[in-house]
Amino acid sequence: MSDNRGPAPDGATDGAATAQADTRSVKTGSLSSLVNTAGVYGIALLFLVLGAVLQFTGAIGNFLSPQNLLNIVDAVALVGIVAVGMSFVTYSGNYADMSVPTTMGLTGYICIELLRYGFIPAIIGAIGVSLLIGVLNGFVVGKFKANPIIWTLAVNYVTMGIIRLVWVNKQIYPDMKGSSPDVVALFDAIYRLRFFKLIGLPLVILILLVVIGQFVLTKTSFGVKLKLTGSAPKAAKLSGIPIETVIMTSFVLAAFTAAIAGLAVTSLSRVGAWYNGAGYDFKAVTAIVIGGMTLAGGRGTILGVLGGSLIIGILNNIMTLIGIGTFSQDMVRGAIFILVVGINAKSLRSLGRDDA
Amino acid sequence: MRRSGKINFLAQGDKYRIYILFVVIFGFMSIFAPKFFSVFNFTTILNAIAMNATVAIGFTVVMICGQLDLSIGTVITFAGCLTLGLQPLLGFPGSIAVAVLGGALVGFLNGILVAKAKINSFIVTLGTMTILQGAIYQYSGGNSISVTTDEAFAISDFLQVSLLPLLTPRILITLILVVAVEFMLRRTRAGRNFYIVGGNRNTAWLAGINTDRYLIGAFVLSSVMAAIGGVVSVLVSTAATLKLGEISLMYVISATIIGGTAMSGGKGGVLRSVIAILSLEMLYTGIILFGLGNEVKIFFAGLILAYVVLYEAYATYRHEKNLGQRPELMKELATRLSTKEKKLLGSRGA
Repeated sequence: MSDNRGPAPDGATDGAATAQADTRSVKTGSLSSLVNTAGVYGIALLFLVLGAVLQFTGAIGNFLSPQNLLNIVDAVALVGIVAVGMSFVTYSGNYADMSVPTTMGLTGYICIELLRYGFIPAIIGAIGVSLLIGVLNGFVVGKFKANPIIWTLAVNYVTMGIIRLVWVNKQIYPDMKGSSPDVVALFDAIYRLRFFKLIGLPLVILILLVVIGQFVLTKTSFGVKLKLTGSAPKAAKLSGIPIETVIMTSFVLAAFTAAIAGLAVTSLSRVGAWYNGAGYDFKAVTAIVIGGMTLAGGRGTILGVLGGSLIIGILNNIMTLIGIGTFSQDMVRGAIFILVVGINAKSLRSLGRDDA
Repeated sequence: MRRSGKINFLAQGDKYRIYILFVVIFGFMSIFAPKFFSVFNFTTILNAIAMNATVAIGFTVVMICGQLDLSIGTVITFAGCLTLGLQPLLGFPGSIAVAVLGGALVGFLNGILVAKAKINSFIVTLGTMTILQGAIYQYSGGNSISVTTDEAFAISDFLQVSLLPLLTPRILITLILVVAVEFMLRRTRAGRNFYIVGGNRNTAWLAGINTDRYLIGAFVLSSVMAAIGGVVSVLVSTAATLKLGEISLMYVISATIIGGTAMSGGKGGVLRSVIAILSLEMLYTGIILFGLGNEVKIFFAGLILAYVVLYEAYATYRHEKNLGQRPELMKELATRLSTKEKKLLGSRGA
């Protein structure tokens, strides 16, 4: 009867196949998740080896020089900070927070504007404003179940509009706003401070965030609630988990780390501009996906996300050294992103699990 | 069966809300905005929406299928850059063909990944968007591409010639595409099948529809329409800037939702989306005519998108909350009950 209608969509199969799906499902213990996470670092290591090989064959110079390795780590730190926060959103089953770029931009503007009242108020004010964006996102997505991508994209546009409206399309500089030189120096130090002349402050923050994030995700009751919300929101709701609050918290966490990254980027470039965070949304999602966190939610680890950021960082560095331009790197990143998501979805389906 | 006159009226109001909105905005702007009510201004508005209206045609079909296509903005720019960039090599017919075919290829890729690899459509199109963005910058070197031959200017002039009042060839192209796709969706079996696939993919498959083919078709249509929009736009301006399709996505998504096409799929129409695009453009033109800047326009556009997404989500939320309840029955009861019983009912939020 049905010759040319193609393969069945998920859920349109008959009972026999459903029963079969049950037998195919495989129990994943902590060991296999450890292997998965280790696999991410294995790939990162593979890329490092690739870089080294390329250097020895003379294709690229100076890959293994301390300065270059430091560059990689610095680049990883910024993407990683955004990715760790955003991975909570992904874990909660809401794909990604697309409002990150302008949240980062707005944070920079607010901080520079407030620098005249001192360093600490400026930081608190900037982070506070970004948390408001997170609360808004979390409320709308959690309570009304708006499509997270479209909603956060809309918020991204609104925030961009607000920045361009309030600051009339102008960039602002930390030393222009009548703030004292000491405070400006402190602000510049956010990105430039190095412990033992080696480890930058963003890296320290990243490591702290990863440790805390991994702890929260695996050891706290919030982590368990988040996992259930991400993998089966209806079941979570029926078992009494306040999924609205859980989702809101995940968006607030994403906004919080976006704010930190925004401050670091603004400190790096010494200018507040609405495009300061451009591209970080996609870089972070790619890192999250490569790090083994599935877009369906409820699967993955923060350590894996760190590994994913590392892979992105090393890959970017190698491509830059080979002489591939920034824009071609976008193409490579996009292709890898689709590939990884595709493989992930396929492997999950062949295990008889839900599709990503 | 009619339940009550009032509810029926409300339902009708919701069905025609976009036409009502159109009349309201048109009336308001005609009365209050300076220099709004003139043939010149209307022609400007129609020319301004020509690109986004074309793009909205395909986007609406994708949304009827219950999917999203975030790559339309970059497809516009991509097609625009190809048209002018390849023109010295291939001439206009060749470069236009390559641009539209390139768009079709992107759509085909999106469709295959969504239908066969079963990846979420906005994840797929987010990826293709990034790839295309890189490709555009790589190809153009970050500069805008312009062609300044007499032929290009002749084409540009031709597209803006006034055939009838309010009708230029540019507007005519959009009009023909709108009518054609609207007819296809309403009157042909293939068109109706898009709604069935969007409404419930499993049911559609069980009814013997090749769902994958319709999904791929929708994405190809979306990208081709976006490419045509970009091509016509650069033919008129004779220059392809890299910001050509930058905020089209925002306009098209909000217009499509305002037009009544549901994000969950299975509902909507091309004409309604285009009317919504027209209404929004009148609003934005009004903002500019009131002497406010482009920043205000972008701000409002974002705000409108946020509002419609929120409204849509809230409506679904209310619908699900009231599922299985019968508010009209409760109301009818309330008219018959004593005040004491009414209070009891009221506390339950009837």
